[in-house]
Amino acid sequence: MWATSFCLIYTDRMIQGFVQLLIFQTLGELLSKVWLHSIPGPVIGLVLLLAYFGLRSGIPDPIGSVGGSILQHLGLLFVPASVGVVLYLPLLQANAWGIASTLIVSVLATIGVSALVLKLTMSDSQSKS
Amino acid sequence: MKPGLTPFSEIWVYLSGSPLLALVLTLSAYLVGLTIYERTERKPWANPVLIAVILTACAINTFGMSYAKYFEGAQFVHFLLGTATVALAIPIYKGWASLKGRVWALLLALFAGAITSIVTAVGMARLLGVDEKLVRGLVAKSVTAPIAMGIAESVQASPTLTAIFAVSTGILGAVLGRFVLNILHISEWWQRGFALGVAAHGIGTSRALSVHPEAGAYASLGMGMHGIMGAVLIPYVAVYFL
Repeated sequence: MWATSFCLIYTDRMIQGFVQLLIFQTLGELLSKVWLHSIPGPVIGLVLLLAYFGLRSGIPDPIGSVGGSILQHLGLLFVPASVGVVLYLPLLQANAWGIASTLIVSVLATIGVSALVLKLTMSDSQSKS
Repeated sequence: MKPGLTPFSEIWVYLSGSPLLALVLTLSAYLVGLTIYERTERKPWANPVLIAVILTACAINTFGMSYAKYFEGAQFVHFLLGTATVALAIPIYKGWASLKGRVWALLLALFAGAITSIVTAVGMARLLGVDEKLVRGLVAKSVTAPIAMGIAESVQASPTLTAIFAVSTGILGAVLGRFVLNILHISEWWQRGFALGVAAHGIGTSRALSVHPEAGAYASLGMGMHGIMGAVLIPYVAVYFL
């Protein structure tokens, strides 16, 4: 009896959290359609949800638990689109070396530059204060 | 033909026509990927997405299933991508709470990193004579894949190529990142973590989390901030590069 009511409350909250996420996504899609065309709807939804967390000064439990479990397997969600790589295999093979070296150099440069900027600006502000 | 005995080929035709097969393939390939990832103690090169993509691609090739047919079924998984993107507000909000007056330094580092990512990728790819179709896919490669695929649509890049390059970038950053950070003598955990998050998004973030909790928190913040900033600015920046 206790276990059943616990399960019911649990699933209720799951659905509640999921519905809230979908509502923010819908709001984001609407804003993207009618106003901020270049920004993907889900990203606008993300910003709206951030603002909502800010207003509530915390993450409401239903969204927190549902969102957390979706994000845990975020990787699964972009498998279908990535499998489309089969359509690009000849193109990728023809450019394999160029792409591989570009990806390596670019990611290393990005890590290096952002870390250096942090190091320099922080040592600067610390020496001033 | 005896009634009650359906030939295998007929079952096959039925199965490959329903979305079920694509879903089963995708989910089980991901499960295999996860198992390998856990067995190798979460090494970045054993990335579950990469394994799942390779397995699924091989499977649909073997079955002679076209990608369009596969996607018809797998789109039910793909659909949740938008919802998951909205949920990214959770780690960003948590990371934001742990900031200690470092906002401007972080924003500056993020901006520098984001520009570096685009300029080095597009510049070097052009220099090496990479096909223009592929170059477009590189623009959002340091942004977390779900957001990068949204950006891809507004810069007329292929979402597939963008996702593939984003995942590869994440793996490369997670594997090679510490060498650059060591050469540059970056010793603060939060600085190392943030740089990994900016450059190598989710995969870099899991790497940072497994090394140090503070690095992990800042990495997820770096990933989230790059996601938002990238979505707002890349469509405008891309005009000058593409």
